[in-house]
Amino acid sequence: MPFQQGARTRQRTVLLVGMVVLLAALVLAVVLASLLTHREQEDGPKMLKWKDRGTTKNLQEVILGRCYNYVMARYPELGDKDCLKIWDSLKRAFIYKNPCNITSEDYQPLMELASHPIPCNKSLFWSKTNDLAHRYTKSNQNFLTLEDTLLGYMADRVSWCGDPSAPGINYESCPKRSECESNPGSVFWKMASKMFAEAACGVVQVMLNGSVEAGAFGSSSIFGSIEIFNLNPDKVSAVHIWLMHDIGGPQSESCSGHSIKRLKSILEARNFKITCEDNYRPVQLLQCVHNPDHTDCRLCTNTM
Amino acid sequence: KWKGEGTTLNLESIVIGRCYDYIRIVNPAVGEKNCSEIWEAFKNAFIEKDPCSVLPKDYELFINLSFHAIPPNKSLFWENNHLLVNSFADGGRRYMSLADTLFGYLADFLNWCGQANGTGLDYESCPTTEECENNPVESFWRMASVTYAQHSSGVIHVLLNGSAAGGAYPVPGFFADYEIPNLQKDKVSEIVIWVVDDIEGPDRDSCGTHTVAILQNRLKNLGFDITCTDNFE
Repeated sequence: MPFQQGARTRQRTVLLVGMVVLLAALVLAVVLASLLTHREQEDGPKMLKWKDRGTTKNLQEVILGRCYNYVMARYPELGDKDCLKIWDSLKRAFIYKNPCNITSEDYQPLMELASHPIPCNKSLFWSKTNDLAHRYTKSNQNFLTLEDTLLGYMADRVSWCGDPSAPGINYESCPKRSECESNPGSVFWKMASKMFAEAACGVVQVMLNGSVEAGAFGSSSIFGSIEIFNLNPDKVSAVHIWLMHDIGGPQSESCSGHSIKRLKSILEARNFKITCEDNYRPVQLLQCVHNPDHTDCRLCTNTM
Repeated sequence: KWKGEGTTLNLESIVIGRCYDYIRIVNPAVGEKNCSEIWEAFKNAFIEKDPCSVLPKDYELFINLSFHAIPPNKSLFWENNHLLVNSFADGGRRYMSLADTLFGYLADFLNWCGQANGTGLDYESCPTTEECENNPVESFWRMASVTYAQHSSGVIHVLLNGSAAGGAYPVPGFFADYEIPNLQKDKVSEIVIWVVDDIEGPDRDSCGTHTVAILQNRLKNLGFDITCTDNFE
């Protein structure tokens, strides 16, 4: 019996030692793991988080492709545009930067490389008529919106923003205007709109929405806050307003409405001649594609 | 050397850019596609080949990689009114014409060909279909048209030009030779024909006359339910 008792004690000791070793190994593993992840966190700080969608994936390919497409397939007269340089200047404008600190200086090289002259009498401005204005210019190449110029064409429907941490581009999220005004998208469109207005000459057109409750002309819109103030009275002779109503939609405002009067007075003060037309027929015909049976869409309406 | 325009400059960047544009922005519903693989398959169909010996089936891999389903009732076939169709289809929102599918979107309005002795694209000139049928661009559109027709379903629309000199329904033509033969009777419920004249253009062809009558008879004989309307408003 003493021999058996000794053996059992030895067994128990071995078991105890084994458990201690296992426990120690476990503790070691946990400590090591936490140390490693902690180091990882220190090496790669997380990117800032915002409320709007992130940078468009494959932004480089999209921008480059659009640049070449625009130059080669649509406006071969612009053959001297260096699309690689243009992409590079766009990237440098925002990469590795805090996306709430973007300035117009950041975009200056891009603006210079990508800008091109616009033929007179062809500029079409728009406010609250995004879809309709672009359907019109797609079917009538006699007019150009900002999105029909190289800069606007490349950037339309695309988003981008940077971040101070690697890789410098934030694909997860980008700041909304409400989070900060000096974000890459807002600054870009403000600058591009200003330049588009500055480049306009001859008679310019603007398509406004007379079915919007808040009024066709808003002073907080890009048109109302930037474009009208950057039209050059030495180059632009007149502004033609096309006030469009939704087919079968509310006629919240017409050419004699309040906000139009306000717009007219701002423009007249800058020496522009203004005309205004309710439901400019060529554009209305486009709207009629979606509403062919409406009375406003009968073929033989007499205008004027 | 050849009578047609040469390859579009920066073809690779344009095609790859259009591919990402399509899957990220134009129609993200088609899901993830490997755009570099698609470009490679496209290029390999005609690179280092005599540009008169490229066959539609050389684009098979390209089609397989870029293929996606066409929603029922959205197919829009056409002849002699390329720009009108692009406009009317409204970027795939109203209808999905061939140029609104990924495989058509990549190549619309572009031109390309390779050279038999050389690894490059020929930027100087490319053969026209009159010079040789089996050229890279013709074979591409034949393959794409066949695929488009095979996968069209529901109510099919076809927009024809009633002012066209050769007739609203041209034979030979893509619709006649590559699309009609590949429409699937068990998937197509009805074919709606629209004959539209150019504004201030001549009214050369209409439903029930000349080439449109030929088309209507052909489709009826094939067993399709058809309707025809002139100058759709």
